Amino acid sequence: CVSSSPSRLRYSLISLSVLHIYPVLGHYFQLFCLFCLSMNKRNVKSLSICRELEMLVQCIVGVLRGIGNIQRAYGSSHNCRILLHGRPKQRTQTRSWCDGPGQPSTRFNLQRRVVVTAAVGGAMLGAFWLVHKEKQRRWQQQRTEQLKQVALGQGTFSLLDHTGKRRSKQDFLGRWVLLYFGFTHCPDICPDELEKLSAVVTALDADASLPKIQPLFITVDPDRDDVPALARYVQDFHPRLIGLTGTPEEIKEAGRDYRVYASAGAKDDDGDYIVDHTILIYLINPDGLFLDYYNRLKNQDQIAHSIRNHMQTYTRQ
Amino acid sequence: MATAAPNSAERKTCWDARDLLWKCLDDNHDNVSACQKFHNEFEAKCPAQWVKYFTKRRDFLKYKEKMETEGFTPADGPQGAS
Repeated sequence: CVSSSPSRLRYSLISLSVLHIYPVLGHYFQLFCLFCLSMNKRNVKSLSICRELEMLVQCIVGVLRGIGNIQRAYGSSHNCRILLHGRPKQRTQTRSWCDGPGQPSTRFNLQRRVVVTAAVGGAMLGAFWLVHKEKQRRWQQQRTEQLKQVALGQGTFSLLDHTGKRRSKQDFLGRWVLLYFGFTHCPDICPDELEKLSAVVTALDADASLPKIQPLFITVDPDRDDVPALARYVQDFHPRLIGLTGTPEEIKEAGRDYRVYASAGAKDDDGDYIVDHTILIYLINPDGLFLDYYNRLKNQDQIAHSIRNHMQTYTRQ
Repeated sequence: MATAAPNSAERKTCWDARDLLWKCLDDNHDNVSACQKFHNEFEAKCPAQWVKYFTKRRDFLKYKEKMETEGFTPADGPQGAS
């Protein structure tokens, strides 16, 4: 290809106009013309690729412009016809800036065009996808760093599980933990969230490459949720779910550790009351570090996906 | 001593009664007298606290729906620059 300044200007103008009409094609065109322009040797193969692309672009541009104007469309179809039927030894009427001295015309091969376009398109899509993945990974890393700085769950708790055994935070180190605070007299939210949590655990269990996560339920209503009450409650959910309770002081300690808000409402005639509380599911890594949280808006697939990501990043470190 | 918490089956019974009541209210434009039968069922099958909670919840959901569809006019506050 000729690499003189007027040609460069013309190629920029053409590619800009094509970009305006058909951005993706414009990019391909730019790429290939750069390739052509960089060739110092008069390579027949590259010249013909360049020429056929130029004609493809002129064909499309002409057709697009010609929509509504029959004469223009007829004029542009000249280039399109050459592309489709590949008349050898046919000189185009406009001077092609891919021309060099002693340049033989060649047949335009539809197959080669398709292959070349697909290859370039595929490469560009691949590049975009890689950049996107990297951006996501970096965002996830930033978020984890920020949550680590919040440093929830640094303390230790000592509570009774629903079988009456005493458990402390140390007992759960070395395992991933999914923690939820609630109470057994909860009308609908706690059962919903625990159902969701159970479904997440089941989904993650199905993946043999991931460690088994431990679901925990800590009550915010120690006055009513004693060990038998918890035992009755947790049996409706995932078999691995452990319910934890204790004295009001022990529960307050655990709640403070995770900055859980809990406030018992007024008692009615039956002594019944509802406890208003934070509705969050906490993810804790095997080192006992709080990594992430999930609110009511996250569904089980989103939570499972997020946990899987955390698990995979963790083992890599 | 307070009554035990409802188990899974009891929760479901209460939720179903609540859903029937809410459906009736939706069909009758929140006319409570038209849905008295469902309301009695609902109160029988759910703990008192839950009845109160779900009633408040319905009011909230209706209010939210109203805000989303009709918009709202801000309350008249103090006039002039603050």
